[in-house]
Amino acid sequence: MPLLELKNVTKAFGGIIAVKDVSFSVDSGEIIGLIGPNGAGKTTIFNLITGVYKPTEGNIVFDGKDITGASPASIVNAGIARTFQNIRLFNKLSVLENIRTVLYREADYGLGDALLRTPKVTRIEKKLYDKSLEYLEVVGLTDFIKNRADSLPYGLQRKLEIARALALDPKLLLLDEPAAGMNPDECVDLVELIEKIKKTYDLTIILIEHHMDVVMELCPRIVVINFGEMLMEGTTQEVQNDSRVLKAYLGEEYANA
Amino acid sequence: MFLQTLITGFSIGGIYALMAVGYSLVFSILNFSNFAHGTIIMLGAYIGYFLISSFNLSFPLSLIGAVLGAALLSLLNLRLAYNPLINRRSPSLYLMITAMGVSIFLENMVYVTVGSHFYSFPEIFKQSTIKFFGSDISPLDLAALIFSLISIYALHIFLTKTKIGTAIRAASYDMTTASLNGVNMTKLIGIVFLLAGAFAGLAGVFLGVKYMVYPTMGWITNKAYIAAVIGGLGSLPGAVIGGLILGVLETFVSVYISSTIRDVFSFSMVIIFLVIQPAGLLGKYLEEKV
Amino acid sequence: MDYIYGVMAVICIEIIATVGLSVFTGFTGLFSLGHAAFMAIGAYTSAILTYFYHVPFVLALLSGMLMSGLISIILGFPTLRAKLRGDYFAIATLGFGEAMRVILENLSITQGARGLPGIKHYTTLPVAAIFAVVVVWLTKNFILSKFGRNAIAVREDAVAAEMAGIDLFKVRMLSLIYSAMCGGLAGGLFAHYLNFIQPAMFTSVLSTQLTSAVVAGGMGSITGPILAIALFIAVPEVLRVANMWRLVAYGLILVLIMIFRPSGIMGYHELSFEWIGNLFRKKNCNKIADKRRT
Ligand SMILES: Nc1ncnc2c1ncn2[C@@H]1O[C@H](COP(=O)(O)OP(=O)(O)OP(=O)(O)O)[C@@H](O)[C@H]1O
Ligand SMILES: [Mg+2]
Repeated sequence: MPLLELKNVTKAFGGIIAVKDVSFSVDSGEIIGLIGPNGAGKTTIFNLITGVYKPTEGNIVFDGKDITGASPASIVNAGIARTFQNIRLFNKLSVLENIRTVLYREADYGLGDALLRTPKVTRIEKKLYDKSLEYLEVVGLTDFIKNRADSLPYGLQRKLEIARALALDPKLLLLDEPAAGMNPDECVDLVELIEKIKKTYDLTIILIEHHMDVVMELCPRIVVINFGEMLMEGTTQEVQNDSRVLKAYLGEEYANA
Repeated sequence: MFLQTLITGFSIGGIYALMAVGYSLVFSILNFSNFAHGTIIMLGAYIGYFLISSFNLSFPLSLIGAVLGAALLSLLNLRLAYNPLINRRSPSLYLMITAMGVSIFLENMVYVTVGSHFYSFPEIFKQSTIKFFGSDISPLDLAALIFSLISIYALHIFLTKTKIGTAIRAASYDMTTASLNGVNMTKLIGIVFLLAGAFAGLAGVFLGVKYMVYPTMGWITNKAYIAAVIGGLGSLPGAVIGGLILGVLETFVSVYISSTIRDVFSFSMVIIFLVIQPAGLLGKYLEEKV
Repeated sequence: MDYIYGVMAVICIEIIATVGLSVFTGFTGLFSLGHAAFMAIGAYTSAILTYFYHVPFVLALLSGMLMSGLISIILGFPTLRAKLRGDYFAIATLGFGEAMRVILENLSITQGARGLPGIKHYTTLPVAAIFAVVVVWLTKNFILSKFGRNAIAVREDAVAAEMAGIDLFKVRMLSLIYSAMCGGLAGGLFAHYLNFIQPAMFTSVLSTQLTSAVVAGGMGSITGPILAIALFIAVPEVLRVANMWRLVAYGLILVLIMIFRPSGIMGYHELSFEWIGNLFRKKNCNKIADKRRT
């Protein structure tokens, strides 16, 4: 049974059909690439999976449960976490607080305890502090715990977002262009990080990325989207050699040449 | 009695619609509640009043003066108070707070400079009434209604038939795409504020003629926000329909039940609407781009 | 002496309301145009209880807080729903304030516009001060707990917060109830300080003062708004400014702060010895980030 399955998913915004009849599935432990030209509808697919938008048509099944149209919070609790193409951190909170805020799902103290700041609260806060540190260590941000999130350089902000997603303890992790704006060295670094977290946390990953070398390196299987529709699905080899993919990316002339 | 109440209701509703249209226009493009809109309406009423009483201009000329004056004030408001925030892409909460500040500032400036007198417009239409199916209809009500509808229709034509209008609608749909397509956003937002101000001036004069001119008349302009919520924030047809519905219902409540609870009633409408139809009559849930 | 004593008592009382509003506006990022109405509810509820029913003072205060909290739920439930923008709430509060005024002016138990005279004078300066200290302390704890952090997350980025499993509606509702209850408490103390209340005391002037204090003090700070409200009350008393000019100034302050220093006097900091020390040490690396973001 696949971990995630999209069945004929369509999303229309007024007249614009951003995603049209897309179906694919992801098995547990897999890492697949989701590629396509700008505006193809990749991010919209993430938004549909995570409940930010409700599909106009079709179904999304995760871990055996139909999550079509469920609220983002319940989808997170079911085990899906994501990062955003345009980084969305809690800017005015510190790096550490960004992680701890996510971990609060596990904090089982009540309002009364919180108001009086009972020892229970301080104990749990300390526990979550330590746990946050672990996640920050994984992405290599321990030196910055007290900095405000928006004071970090771009590349580190992306890593913080990944750490925040990991802290949600997901089964499925959606990464939306994690390598955007990174130089080749940083890309190598990122590939290693993704491989590491996949192994450590036993993750299934869908990766949207324009850096083809990153996708080729990480994803044995790739889904290609063009103008909201699924163009093809196949192994890295197949996609690389497919004329339709070239055409979608480079235009008619190049593909024929 | 019924017909008379209905017509009065529609005429008040027409003024509410005039007020709501400007507010909604700004909301649709900048996504924030411009609480200074009511104050511009109030200032429009003052301009109209002083033109007609101190400068002895005719009513049409004063109306034009008020429209131009309010449009200019609205643009000034944008340039001085909002633009610094828009340029920084501040959150809409900040714009809303600024708008509130502008409104408090201007309203109380009027208080300390002009004073809290109530001014009434000189009689424009003779106090006579028109008989209409046995009901007494005031010509002022009728004129206000007809004039409101005509000007809103003109705005509709402008937004759908001209190039600038189309650009405004495109921008209200998606700011980023509009600026990509080579539309100059700064200019466009300026035009939107001029338009909103012009409608504020129009509404202000009618409001002043119907009630009176005084610093806190901005309170009535809160009805613009209610009308917009009922119709659906950011939707122009919604603002018009919301305004008309609000005007009629309110008039019936004050005639048949009690005028003290009229305002409470209007605001309860907002709450009721949000319970049964959260996005208003014609608004839709905005799916924020993520 | 009595005069200074009085001003200080009023400052303590308004600190309670301001700190409450700061949770809602400063930390959760929602805007209210009628917070004075919550003070009115607290004031009338508690005053009626002590005056007509001889309920003990503290119990009456608690009832006032509860009543404010309850009514905030009625207001917040339809307006704070997850997908609705904060504007809906702001507009609803406009009407809420007006509805409050009409109700208070027309009920017989509130004695209409004439108001309630002869309320017992329970709120002395020490009482007000103790309540203020307790509320500030509780609020600090609230903000430092998961409840406060979640509120900040919602303010910073509602979409990301939702994707972090935070229930937007619950967080916003809790902040509203908290701030309404603070308002209710402040109102109750106010009534038993002045010994007289009438609907005209709880108009938009008061709401504006609270909002301006939160914005000017810093949206995301507790000490900033406290400082601001103290100045807002004390300075006009010292200069003996007419009420109207105060409002002109509040309006201008709101606009100027938003344009030139949207993070307020204190920004996202708290007034502390450490913070003052940092001022002189010039290592404020967050300054750059502040500039970049805004
Ligand atoms: N909330 C929305 N309202 C209207 N249109 C939208 C919305 N979200 C996305 N779209 C449209 O859907 C289409 C697909 O957008 P999407 O962001 O999914 O593309 P993408 O494949 O992620 O592109 P990129 O590689 O540039 O990130 C675009 O035309 C976009 O304008
Ligand atoms: Mg994308």
